[in-house]
Amino acid sequence: MDPSSLVSQAPLPEVWQFPMVGVPPGGPRVGRMKPGPEASAVGNRDGSLDESTVTEQSGGNWGRRKRRDSASEDESSKLVSTSSGNDLTDSEVKRPKIMKSTNEMGNLKMEAEASSGICNKTVDQNPPPPEPPKQDYIHVRARRGQATDSHSLAERARREKISERMKILQDLVPGCNKVIGKASVLDEIINYIQALQRQVEFLSMKLEAVNSRMNTGIEGFPAKDFGAQTYDTTSSLAFNTQPAREYGQGSATEWLHMQVGGAFERVT
Amino acid sequence: MSAFHFLRALSQINKTTPKSSLLLRSRRIRHAAYASMAYTAGRSRLWSRALLRRLQRRSRLRYFSSQRTRAVIAPRRLKAVRPRSGEPSRAEALRRLVPGGAGMDYCSLLDETAHYIQCLSSQVQLMQKVVGSISS
Repeated sequence: MDPSSLVSQAPLPEVWQFPMVGVPPGGPRVGRMKPGPEASAVGNRDGSLDESTVTEQSGGNWGRRKRRDSASEDESSKLVSTSSGNDLTDSEVKRPKIMKSTNEMGNLKMEAEASSGICNKTVDQNPPPPEPPKQDYIHVRARRGQATDSHSLAERARREKISERMKILQDLVPGCNKVIGKASVLDEIINYIQALQRQVEFLSMKLEAVNSRMNTGIEGFPAKDFGAQTYDTTSSLAFNTQPAREYGQGSATEWLHMQVGGAFERVT
Repeated sequence: MSAFHFLRALSQINKTTPKSSLLLRSRRIRHAAYASMAYTAGRSRLWSRALLRRLQRRSRLRYFSSQRTRAVIAPRRLKAVRPRSGEPSRAEALRRLVPGGAGMDYCSLLDETAHYIQCLSSQVQLMQKVVGSISS
C-alpha cells in the first residue's frame, strides 16, 4: 500500500503540470495536436505505474478492468475526437480521480485506481481507437494527394454514390454492361429511354387504331352513310377533321363486320 | 395497378373523346399511358411528380382559355438552365429526357432515371399486351 500510494503520488505533479504545460493558449487544433504525445507519454508512465499497483493489490481484477477498458474505448475516442478545446476540462476531470486514488484506500481506492487507469489508459490508447476510421480517410487522402477537408470527403461519398447508381443503370439497360466509359454508358441510357418513349408513342397510336375498333363494339352500329365511305380505307393519319371522321366511321363499320365485341370483352 | 388505370383511361377516352381527330386521340392515349405510369410510381418519385404536373398543365392548356393559362405558364418557361460542373456533358440530354430532370442534382438524376426506365419499360410491355389482346 505504501509504495502504491508513493508511486501514485509520484506522477501527480506531472499530471498537475500537464494542463499548464500541454495546453498552450493557442488555437484548439494545434493545442490538441501538441499535447498528444506528451499526454500519451504521461499516461503511459502513469498507466504502467498504476497497473503495477493494481496487480499488486488484486491479480484477479484484470479481466474486469480489461472489459471496462474496452467498453470505455468508445468514450475515450469520443473524448479525444471532441477534445480539441476541452483539454483543460479533461485534465480537470482526471485530476480529482487521481487525487482520490492517492487519498483513499481499499475498494474505493481500487475503483479510483481503475478509473484513473482507464483515464490514463485511454489517454494511452488514444491514438488507436480513432485510427481505424481515420486511417481509411488518411489512406484515401494520401492516394489523392489532397482532400483534407470535409468538402472533399462529401464529394468522394457523392462520387461513390454516383458510380453505384451507374452500375444499377447499367444492369437495367440491356447491352450496357459491355460498354466501357461513362459517356458511352450515358449514351446507351439515353438511347434506351428515347427508344422506350418512341415505343410508347407508337403503341399509343396503335392502341388508338385498335381502340377505335373496340369503341365501335361498345357503341354499336353507327349506321350512318357507311356504304359511301367503306372504300376510304387508307390508313394514313388524316389531320383534317373531315377526312378523319370519314375514315373513322368507315373503319368502324368494317370492324363491326369482322369482330363484334370480342376484343372489347377481352379487354374489359 | 398501372394496367387498371390505363384501361380505365382508355375506355374513358373512347367515350369522351370525339373520333374526329386521330391525332388528339392518340395523344390522349399517350398521356394516359404516362399518367397511369406516374400514378403507379406514386408521389414519392421526383419524375412522377414532374410528369403529372406537366400533364396537368397540358390538360389545363387544352381546356381553359389560352390567355389565362399563358399568364400562368409564362413564368415557368423562364427557368434558366444553369451550368453544372463535374458532370459529363451527356447529363444534360438525360435531364431533358427524364421528366423533372432539370431540377435534380446529378446523383438523384441517376436514381430517378433508373426508376423511370423500369416504369417505362413495364408500361411498354403493358401496352404491347393490350394491343396484342385487342387485335388478336
